[in-house]
Amino acid sequence: MHAISFTALLLSLVAGVGVAAYAGVRALKNDYSTVPFLEKAQVVLTLVVVAVSVVLVQALANRDFSYAYVRDYTDTFMPLFYAVTAFWAGQNGSFLFWYLGVAVMGWCMIYSPGYSRLDDRTKVFFWLFFFLVEIFFLYALTGPSNAFMKLDPVPAEGNGLNPLLQNPGMIFHPPLLFLGYAGYTIPFCLALACRLAGDGRNWLDLSRNWNIISWVFLTAGIILGAWWAYMELGWGGYWAWDPVENASLIPWLAGTAFMHTAIVGRTRKTLLRSNVFLVSLTFLLCFFATFVVRSGMIDSLHAFGSSKMGIPLLVFMLAVLGLVLFVCLIQRADDTTHLDEFMSRPGMLFLGSWLLLCLGGIVFLGVNWPLLSAPWTASPVGLDAGFYNRVCLPLFAFLALIMSLCPWFGQKKGIHDKVGLGLTICAGLVTAVALYVLGYTQPVALLGAVSGVMIVAAVILLFVRSSAVRRFRPSWGAYGVHLGVALMVVGVAFSGPYKEEAEAVLEKGQSMTAGAYMVTFHELIHNHDNPAMNVHEARFSVTRDGQPVGNLAPQKRLYRNFDRSSFAEASLIPSLGEEIYATLLAFNEEGSVSIKISINPLVNWIWIGGTLCCLVAFLCWRKIERP
Amino acid sequence: MSSTQKSQKWVYVVALLLVGAGVGYLVLSGLSQNSVYFLNVSEALAMPEDKLTQARLFGSVCEQDIVRDPSALGVAFTVQDKDNADQTMRVEYRGAVPDTFKPGVEVILEGRFNAQARVFEATTLLTKCPSKYEKNEQGQMRPPGYGG
Repeated sequence: MHAISFTALLLSLVAGVGVAAYAGVRALKNDYSTVPFLEKAQVVLTLVVVAVSVVLVQALANRDFSYAYVRDYTDTFMPLFYAVTAFWAGQNGSFLFWYLGVAVMGWCMIYSPGYSRLDDRTKVFFWLFFFLVEIFFLYALTGPSNAFMKLDPVPAEGNGLNPLLQNPGMIFHPPLLFLGYAGYTIPFCLALACRLAGDGRNWLDLSRNWNIISWVFLTAGIILGAWWAYMELGWGGYWAWDPVENASLIPWLAGTAFMHTAIVGRTRKTLLRSNVFLVSLTFLLCFFATFVVRSGMIDSLHAFGSSKMGIPLLVFMLAVLGLVLFVCLIQRADDTTHLDEFMSRPGMLFLGSWLLLCLGGIVFLGVNWPLLSAPWTASPVGLDAGFYNRVCLPLFAFLALIMSLCPWFGQKKGIHDKVGLGLTICAGLVTAVALYVLGYTQPVALLGAVSGVMIVAAVILLFVRSSAVRRFRPSWGAYGVHLGVALMVVGVAFSGPYKEEAEAVLEKGQSMTAGAYMVTFHELIHNHDNPAMNVHEARFSVTRDGQPVGNLAPQKRLYRNFDRSSFAEASLIPSLGEEIYATLLAFNEEGSVSIKISINPLVNWIWIGGTLCCLVAFLCWRKIERP
Repeated sequence: MSSTQKSQKWVYVVALLLVGAGVGYLVLSGLSQNSVYFLNVSEALAMPEDKLTQARLFGSVCEQDIVRDPSALGVAFTVQDKDNADQTMRVEYRGAVPDTFKPGVEVILEGRFNAQARVFEATTLLTKCPSKYEKNEQGQMRPPGYGG
């Protein structure tokens, strides 16, 4: 099956190039009758990649170690579920998964009502761009990133998947990101096709739902990654500003900016060129994210190793960038430079989008700084997490403030609901004074927390005061997402600067203080029943002012298949207020333990807000009528 | 373009400049205060010692002379260059030692070089995240749990 699968992908590549070339030549002669042919070709490509993916999944499920990929990422001890999800654990499989996402979405596109509203010329252009992307993936899958390499002789056992990755958070984090990346292919191709065909008006409407889905996948992927880092890595934090984390944040920032300029574009019939550029930028940054992870050019905490995908990705990105600039620079009669008053809804959306793009630019700069600074320093200079905290957090806080004020501005100019705006500001002032008196005086965190509360107040007031907002389902989606963001902003503003940490070595019966809490060590339990690992668990009780709060049982696990390396399993007392988080650092034979306790205030609101964002965004979905 | 449109254009330009100035100020202050040298061990050894006041060091842990604090709240070890094992530097680290720390593992250290004691005093010790995502450059798989 190795050779058959590989050959099927190779034939897909040849067919893709052939079909695109044929349709391209016909299009040059103003012949756009190739649409049914292109659609059939897309269906065939999709069927091939689905079949090939089934082959790989089956090999993973059967632990068929004659596949190098299966050997590299599974072993016979793994539960079936984790073995199957190793599909996207490695580079080769994850590229296949990404391409699978692109192909299936392209197939769905054929049957979508939005697609049926396009004329034949636009459809041909759409498929030409779409095939270009698919050809790149097929080239990668049949060249530098082949998932069907055969091993001979067949090894008896595989390498297994690192225990840290055997966690639901980590299992669904990569595929969600890849589905988000894949999703942006459709708005990107649609934008370029419509602009090239001179049909600049309606691609924003037609790609809106695709945009929302892609954004939800990307958001969910990022939040799940942060949650995994918090739950599983045992360092008590959720975001370390590591290049690999940042890489997925950059397209998210660009995509979010585009989402807002698209509103201005749709409602005010302006920004045609900017929107094409922004959606293309988002698409390109998805590839850039993969480039950061795969090229090995930037040192990261994540050891991905250098792979052969660096140069092909770079060439692809530069080629697409050239194409995008060419298409954007074409003059169109309906390109207008219509500007609304700055103090208006579109003006505020502009400002918010600028900030999002600035944030994207800053993170991009930070990730690339070791390369960018090379010309004028003898030794490479990089930026630590402090850089991002210093530069990005004030901008995020300011952005949150604008989010709370924007809904009160009118579509064309001025403020349409002065009372609503006044009440929102009052809520902010009261919160600011209250927090300041309670001792929360760190300025950026204070601005963030106040802005978060103001967004919540603004959303509630909007729904109370405006029946138009209540009646319009998409506004439930949009403001619901904003509410989720507000909860996250508040969560970050408190759990970042007001986190308390303590480390100690404790004998049986001894106690330590962490913040306002007293943590007492009771016993250490060794469990050797599980064949895959030995578990050592320390039991603690937590009290506050003499009142019991709960128990903590952090573990150290020694895995059989990983060189008996130990992994800490954090334990926590969940709370919507102060969450108590414990990691067992070490223990010795005499029964004493080293423990790290962190008190994370309001941290769970980040996950609640993030979940809300991803769920309610679907309310923004709009049905597109067939013509 | 009408005259109101033109005046609006200036409002946008001013707003853009204000945002740009704010962002520029933040970025410049960040660049001046949060820049650290990103160095391999061999590069760090080649640098003048007085410039190693704030650095992020990339290397791997030598087999020999690992002195662990029994509480796991500190470790002293020798870090060697990833490509050139002869280039080494002594490191003293205070803080929680990650589970994945062991001989041979790639580490990232943040801290400063103490010229008197001839050791790199690390304030953070990170082992490379164990995403077993790709083979190493030689095309061999590293042993499981190696951290790569």
